[in-house]
Amino acid sequence: MSRVITISSGKGGVGKTTSTANLGTALAMQGMKVAVVDADIGLRNLDVVLGLENRIVYDLVDVVEGRCRLRQALIRDKHFPDLCLLPAAQTRDKDAVTSDDMIALTNQLRAEFDYVLIDSPAGIEAGFRNAIAGADEVLIVTTPEVAAVRDADRIIGLVEAFDKGHPRLILNRLKPRMVSRGEMMSIEDVLQILAIELIGVVPDDELIVTSTNRGEVAVLDRGSRAGRAFNDIARRLAGEDVPLTVFDDSPGLMSRIFGAFGFRARGSER
Amino acid sequence: MTKLVTIKGSREGLRLQLDDAAGWPDVLAALRGQLEQGAQFFNGARIVVDIGDRALADEQLAELMALMRQHHLEPSALGSTSRESRNTARAAGVVARPSVRGAGVADERGEAAFVQRTIRSGQVVRHHGHITVVGDVNAGAEVIAGGSVVVWGRLRGTVHAGALGDRAAVICAIELRPTQLRIADLIARAPDGAASGVPEVARIDGDQIAVEPWESYRR
Repeated sequence: MSRVITISSGKGGVGKTTSTANLGTALAMQGMKVAVVDADIGLRNLDVVLGLENRIVYDLVDVVEGRCRLRQALIRDKHFPDLCLLPAAQTRDKDAVTSDDMIALTNQLRAEFDYVLIDSPAGIEAGFRNAIAGADEVLIVTTPEVAAVRDADRIIGLVEAFDKGHPRLILNRLKPRMVSRGEMMSIEDVLQILAIELIGVVPDDELIVTSTNRGEVAVLDRGSRAGRAFNDIARRLAGEDVPLTVFDDSPGLMSRIFGAFGFRARGSER
Repeated sequence: MTKLVTIKGSREGLRLQLDDAAGWPDVLAALRGQLEQGAQFFNGARIVVDIGDRALADEQLAELMALMRQHHLEPSALGSTSRESRNTARAAGVVARPSVRGAGVADERGEAAFVQRTIRSGQVVRHHGHITVVGDVNAGAEVIAGGSVVVWGRLRGTVHAGALGDRAAVICAIELRPTQLRIADLIARAPDGAASGVPEVARIDGDQIAVEPWESYRR
């Protein structure tokens, strides 16, 4: 049974595209057949993060408007043949597709892939609604900042109103040292407000910036703390019970086991 | 004394029931008073105006719509048991529905809505009576009640109690840290700083909103 998962956030710049690219790659590393779809039409990024920008011939809008077949628009990843990207159109905007188009598209992708990950645009308008239209489940990405958490809260309310079940949370760019100094919202603070299940915590990691710019995702780099966190999240998505650990700012050190705080991330029970 | 204007909340929005026996000018005057008093309450709500069995003339309908428009309200429909009135409305381009009026009009002060979930940013809960929320009211959410509001949880959003003018309404929460509190026509900003750590009650004291711990309020 294939699963369609939309990655959303409300606020821009909190790590939706990075999360989509890394989770997609990590699932492919587990041997899954994965399609990552860029639903941010007009502002495409996912191709850049995956380093596939120069291979785009056709895009999502071409498929929807019948200028090509789905298979022609899918771009095979450089490292994993079982990972494919469906890029967004750059010269069009959100009105180029409808929710029905997206549902039809995701159903076509279900036939060929185990996982379909959809990178949602920021905002709460048509682009976001299209991105979740065909989804079975939704992952919310937020950073431990008041504005990002506020927008995540808004998105969670909308996702629930659209009957997409209970979304799960990725807390991105946590800086454990700032938290311990009381300068940043803690995992507990964020969960207290959002009251949804946590699927993983990704520490702030400068390597993400360099890997994103190079078009090499972090999960490929064994030394990347963020990469390891995304790998764990992918395993939890697949249903594995992986204890929640937050990798500290000091490289190589794994500290602060959060199980002791009374909450832990759980894998899917499907 | 019968009320000329009765406000009822439902899943579909608000229903403004106008008395169908009293003189039309009196009813309009009562409606005008209610709209002025509860401007915050009506703002952004879906409204059905129910005129009951009254046979409405063209110019009476026009007066009604003009009054609503003055308060920036666009009724989604007109309800009436009178076929004649419904035809008048439709001729003027207003959606009209047959209305079924319950036997006795219940006292709306005694009615309450019960909500058991987290009210999230961007969500609005509105009821003409009291509202009880079992769950948190997050920042960016709004709870608007004709009566009092009780939050069994953390109150971080905006709450308006007594939004139809009732100055006796109160707001209480286990953790009262709202963005803003409103009771009737008064507005208070939350004090800066940490929560008190005890359940609190907000009410009108003199001409301002006062917040005190539940333990001292109940004495």
